[in-house]
Amino acid sequence: MITLVGMNHRSAPLDLRERACFGDDELPGALSRLLAGPGIAEAMILATCNRVEILVRGDDPGSAAATVRSFLATERRIEPEILEGHVYVHEGSKAARHVFAVACGLDSMILGEPQILGQVKRAYEAARRCQATGPVLDRLLQHALAAAKRTRSATGISRHAVSIAFAAAKLARSLFDDLRGRRVLLLGAGKMTELAARHLVSQGVGSLTIANRTYARAQTLAEALSGSALTWDDVPQALERVDIVLTGTAAAAPVLTCETVRRALSARRGQPLLLVDIAVPRDVEPETNTLEGVYLYDVDDLQEIVDDGLGERRRAAEEARRLLEIEVVAFDRWRQVADLGPTIAALRERLHAVGREEIARFGRRLAPLGEAERAAVEELLRSVVQKILHTPTVTLKAAADRGEAARFAALYREIFGLDLTERDEGEGSGPQRLIRGGKDE
Amino acid sequence: MTRGLLEIAIVLHATGAVASFAGELRKRPAWTRTGALILAGAFVLELAVLALLGASGSAVPVRSGGDYLLALGCLVLGLHLVLGLGRGLPGIALVLPASSAAMVAAGLVLPSAPASGAALEQRGWLLAHTAVATAGMGALAVAFAMSILFLVKDRALKHKRSVGMLERFPSLETIDRVGFHAMLWGFSLLTLGIATGLAMQAELHRPLFGWTAKEVFPILAWLVFAFLLAARRSRGVSGRRSAFLAIAGFALGILTVLGMPR
Repeated sequence: MITLVGMNHRSAPLDLRERACFGDDELPGALSRLLAGPGIAEAMILATCNRVEILVRGDDPGSAAATVRSFLATERRIEPEILEGHVYVHEGSKAARHVFAVACGLDSMILGEPQILGQVKRAYEAARRCQATGPVLDRLLQHALAAAKRTRSATGISRHAVSIAFAAAKLARSLFDDLRGRRVLLLGAGKMTELAARHLVSQGVGSLTIANRTYARAQTLAEALSGSALTWDDVPQALERVDIVLTGTAAAAPVLTCETVRRALSARRGQPLLLVDIAVPRDVEPETNTLEGVYLYDVDDLQEIVDDGLGERRRAAEEARRLLEIEVVAFDRWRQVADLGPTIAALRERLHAVGREEIARFGRRLAPLGEAERAAVEELLRSVVQKILHTPTVTLKAAADRGEAARFAALYREIFGLDLTERDEGEGSGPQRLIRGGKDE
Repeated sequence: MTRGLLEIAIVLHATGAVASFAGELRKRPAWTRTGALILAGAFVLELAVLALLGASGSAVPVRSGGDYLLALGCLVLGLHLVLGLGRGLPGIALVLPASSAAMVAAGLVLPSAPASGAALEQRGWLLAHTAVATAGMGALAVAFAMSILFLVKDRALKHKRSVGMLERFPSLETIDRVGFHAMLWGFSLLTLGIATGLAMQAELHRPLFGWTAKEVFPILAWLVFAFLLAARRSRGVSGRRSAFLAIAGFALGILTVLGMPR
């Protein structure tokens, strides 16, 4: 049974998440201590700034959750009573559904954000390197990662802008083929402009020039962003060369007039210019938007794009959840069939044992038969047993498809008097044999 | 048989244009794909009609205004299908299939005239002239489509339309680049078309310029595009002004059909 114990930005405050977080270098040791816990067969730890989640496969769900809770409390030195109010536990299908949703960004603080997919992938790779995963978690994580990729691509959930910086970059892409090689002029060196500039830099813009009333601040920010600084008086000339202007000064009146931009246009030879004004009060005269080839967006316009983006993401998330549910059901079926493995193997073993006993009982009467005839009789008996087994096995697998595996398996154990603990652990069959082939071996 | 095929082709062409338009507008890739498949079928049929016209007796493929519009519509459709290959150009399906369907439909409505004695006499020149001029107008039709897209996208950006609306079109830079290249090809081929037309007139010992619509409008279109390309090169004229001029140039070029036999 899969069990997930975790805390995220909704269930726990930042200081607790900080305490519970595992560094990359701590993971191997932590995983090995976790696997040494009672009944834990496979494990993975996902630790990001917004969540710490521990995924395990254990023999008994109740005890696995308790083991993980106790591990988290001991490992991170958090009082169990504090932990209790801030962790969530998911088991079985719910745990699988949660993993799928996390990988797709549906459980993220910023709905649909793409970084989480890479973080889940890295957590899984770290667990695999430590040989902490086995067939069930391997299957779950591989399935979840592939499904998340497919779902993100099908719904386009992360395409929609959810921040001012994202909206600015999106607008820039509406004008230009590619942001690489584009020249950006930053007016003002405040926090907001810096954030937006950092986003543009991360999108690969070619050059960044920063102008500020205080030249020293422009220089400091230019150094931080690998750009260049410009004196305020040089801004009109710079307007002739740049593709994007991002303004966010604290000036009380517009710092960029329509006339200044108009004068720069003749030297631009028709090149479009995107002006992104995130200042309040505004830095650019609104009339500037009437100039040909100039596209001015202020903070309200950008906010509208962000609101649209959030709405679009919510709609995409609905679709993503619907698609992921199909994947969760597929994984659940696989897991149920895997859970049936011991019952099917025990049933097979039981009937073949009856066959072997009967051959032994009739040994004396079969003695006059030659080697070949005796082998034929044994083969006949095996074939009869196999044929008898066929329908119950198919019925059991069909029950698994309907989600009734546990009930049918119990029924079979009762009817055929199967005792799973008697079986040789090395003789499992089907997916269950794969499961046994996990880290225990 | 030719007319029957042409009627089927125009029905397919119109259906494909509607499906492509609706797919692009409603962001339904399946509709756009279906539309493209139907348009491909229409293109094959239209090519067959052109081939049958060419093979029918002594007639040349383009002998009347109707034939000209049919050939132009088929060519523009072919260009649309080519531009739609690979990454494609989002938004182009809003303009090119519809305009090419209108051309083919007009070709169907306009009566086809038998080739004149002079045309038969100069079949080689006439073929070269019409092929080059039609190809030129095909490229200019792409420039026209790009100009329409530019104006729509420019308006959407100026009026702060939703990002969803903006994403239906390529970036302004792409629209401008494709439009400019189409204009360059179109202008070069149109120049060659006018030159071959003049050469044909000289061969037939006719006056080089007769003030007919067939002669005046191509020259006017040529002048508009010559001015536009020169202004673009010398003064960097682009954007809305360039788009309006390209639309005007194409409209003048298409008026050539008024001077053709009906």
